[in-house]
Amino acid sequence: MNRRAGLRVAVLLAPALLVVVGLFGAGLGLGLLQSLGYQPYLEGWSWTTAAYTGLIDDRAVRASLVLTLRTSVLATAGAAILGLAVAMLVHSSRRGRRLLTAVLQVGLPVPHLVGALSMSLMLSQSGLLSRLTYAIGLTTSPSDFPALTEDRFGWAMLAEYLWKETPFVAVVALTALARGVAPLQDVAATLGASPWQRFRYVVLPLVTPAVGAASVVVLAFTFGSYEVPAVLGRPYPAPLSVVAYQRFTDTDLTVRPQAFALGVVLAVAVTALVAVYLRLLDRLGATR
Amino acid sequence: MSVRLYGPALLAAALVLLSACSAASTGAPATQSASVPATAQGAASDGPDPSRWSDVLAEAKGQTVNWYMWGGDEGLNDYVNDWVSPKAAELGVTVRQVRIADTVDAVNKILGETQAGRTSDGSVDLVWVNGENFATGRQADLWACGWPSRLPSARYVDLADPAIANDFGRPVEDCEAAWNTTTSALVYDAARLDAADVVSLAAFQQWVQAHPGRFTYPAAPDFTGSMVVRTFAYDEAGGYQRLQGPFDQARYDALAPRLWGRLNELGPSLWREGDTYPASQDAVAKLFADGEIDAYFTYGVGGLGTQVQQGRLPATTRTAVFSGGSIGNANFLAIPRNSPNAAGAMVLADLLQSPAAQYEKKVNPPGYDPAIDTTKAGDFAARFAAIPVPAAELPASVLAEAVVPEMQAGWVTRLEKDWVSEVQQR
Repeated sequence: MNRRAGLRVAVLLAPALLVVVGLFGAGLGLGLLQSLGYQPYLEGWSWTTAAYTGLIDDRAVRASLVLTLRTSVLATAGAAILGLAVAMLVHSSRRGRRLLTAVLQVGLPVPHLVGALSMSLMLSQSGLLSRLTYAIGLTTSPSDFPALTEDRFGWAMLAEYLWKETPFVAVVALTALARGVAPLQDVAATLGASPWQRFRYVVLPLVTPAVGAASVVVLAFTFGSYEVPAVLGRPYPAPLSVVAYQRFTDTDLTVRPQAFALGVVLAVAVTALVAVYLRLLDRLGATR
Repeated sequence: MSVRLYGPALLAAALVLLSACSAASTGAPATQSASVPATAQGAASDGPDPSRWSDVLAEAKGQTVNWYMWGGDEGLNDYVNDWVSPKAAELGVTVRQVRIADTVDAVNKILGETQAGRTSDGSVDLVWVNGENFATGRQADLWACGWPSRLPSARYVDLADPAIANDFGRPVEDCEAAWNTTTSALVYDAARLDAADVVSLAAFQQWVQAHPGRFTYPAAPDFTGSMVVRTFAYDEAGGYQRLQGPFDQARYDALAPRLWGRLNELGPSLWREGDTYPASQDAVAKLFADGEIDAYFTYGVGGLGTQVQQGRLPATTRTAVFSGGSIGNANFLAIPRNSPNAAGAMVLADLLQSPAAQYEKKVNPPGYDPAIDTTKAGDFAARFAAIPVPAAELPASVLAEAVVPEMQAGWVTRLEKDWVSEVQQR
């Protein structure tokens, strides 16, 4: 590749890069500044790491960390496994594959907020399901129905993430499967490979990069997602994003650096998680 | 795709970016002085002078007023768009209602813009505000002062009334114009609770403990949830008088253990056994409408009758106030210093304070109580007196008798913070 072509690529990419690096990088940098106490609208502000050290023994943050990690990891693993299973099912069905693929794609453009509201209408103690169990005499009052929204575990949140992200992973996996996995499987079968062996040594290595990339997106998203826990979760314990927003909207302006500190922590944690996840995937793909 | 990864962080960061970037480039931070003390200084500030009202009217012609307000009340939104807007249009002012989920969003916007050096062309012209958000704005010197007392409609307002002259115990100092008054009350289903259950907070608490799972309140610092905590605080302290004045550590220390003990004892009898609290007042009102709970506290009972009529609430919905224990406050309209349409905002505020507007707001769905002294309202005095009271609501005279003032922001913030650590996180 010659120099001019390289320059051309750089020039063509510049507007996009400028937006990404400018908006994102500068935003992150300014967030960092504010997390360190930069509050020019307050008299007597000073540089301090108090916002960060305060997070360590903040009960809301500790509880939040556990909840955030648990929900996002479960949602990611669940969506990856279910998505792959669905993709293989659709791929192996000779008839109706196109229709099934289309059905999978229907949910993709639906915003998470809409998904969360739907889950709330369906799963809350006075929701559709609860009314159904009441109508057929299984429950006699809303509180008889199990608490799936605003619950300690976060069932409705998990359900929303799985409902939304499973088709996403499945569609990505289907694309990978479509690149000639069938002949390879046939070859393996004629060589005497069992169904499990065919899955483990033929299908899995083929789809791992695609499913891995998709689940990185899912992990990063669910870790930082705000609207889903805001609708379906509790005010305490709440995921980091919700806690950050609670601090950002605190009427006491001196609390604000904590919100930005949480934002920075969130960004660092997501980056670290993604790195660990990719490392794990590499290992999975490498052992043949 | 990468944009959605860091949702809230990016949102926050982008906001900061918008604000801080240009502040840095102009070199001169917009506001360094945090507190401007009194009325006199505010009155001397630039901007339109309401004592020369015809000039203000002339300047306002053709202006569009961006009015930031909590948009959670459909009845009020209809009032703004169907009644206020046409009236304002007659004066040449276009009203653009900007609905927000929380008033703090508007304060954040003004703060961000001011910080960015937009000292005269901000995008917010009028804000519906009170309490802590007003205090936050004062903390950062965001509000234009000295105008409300000079509005023509100010003659209908009893500016000496402590409920109007103070906003959560903080002197208004002529930096915001009164718009509504509101009294807290207990909304309950008379099919489930007797009148005897709602005569006092103690009686009600007994009912709650005898009927587990049928009552709850929003998690503080929610506006209403915070009021419920304060209602218990007044009761536990033996009257509102004990918690007036600036925050007092000794008095607080004497009260706090008893208050948190009482609320924690109540916990297991609440909705979801007090294991969690709804995040907002909207969620609580929905629980009541869905039949999950039988009673809840609210600010402002106006509009309940309409909701019963529409079939959204049970026909047996009633309200109660506890004698000498119903917290009430006023809420206000503030103009940011950096509003480019201050004249239009003043004309709109004046219109909103007029007896006709206050009457309409009371009788039609919003049902918000007037901020003006209705006896001073001329032709409207008799009409105010003749407003029928639906069975679900209480007459203004009963509310007025039960109302007690808010405590100062120092108490409020402390109670909210400690409720979180002593009750919610237990």
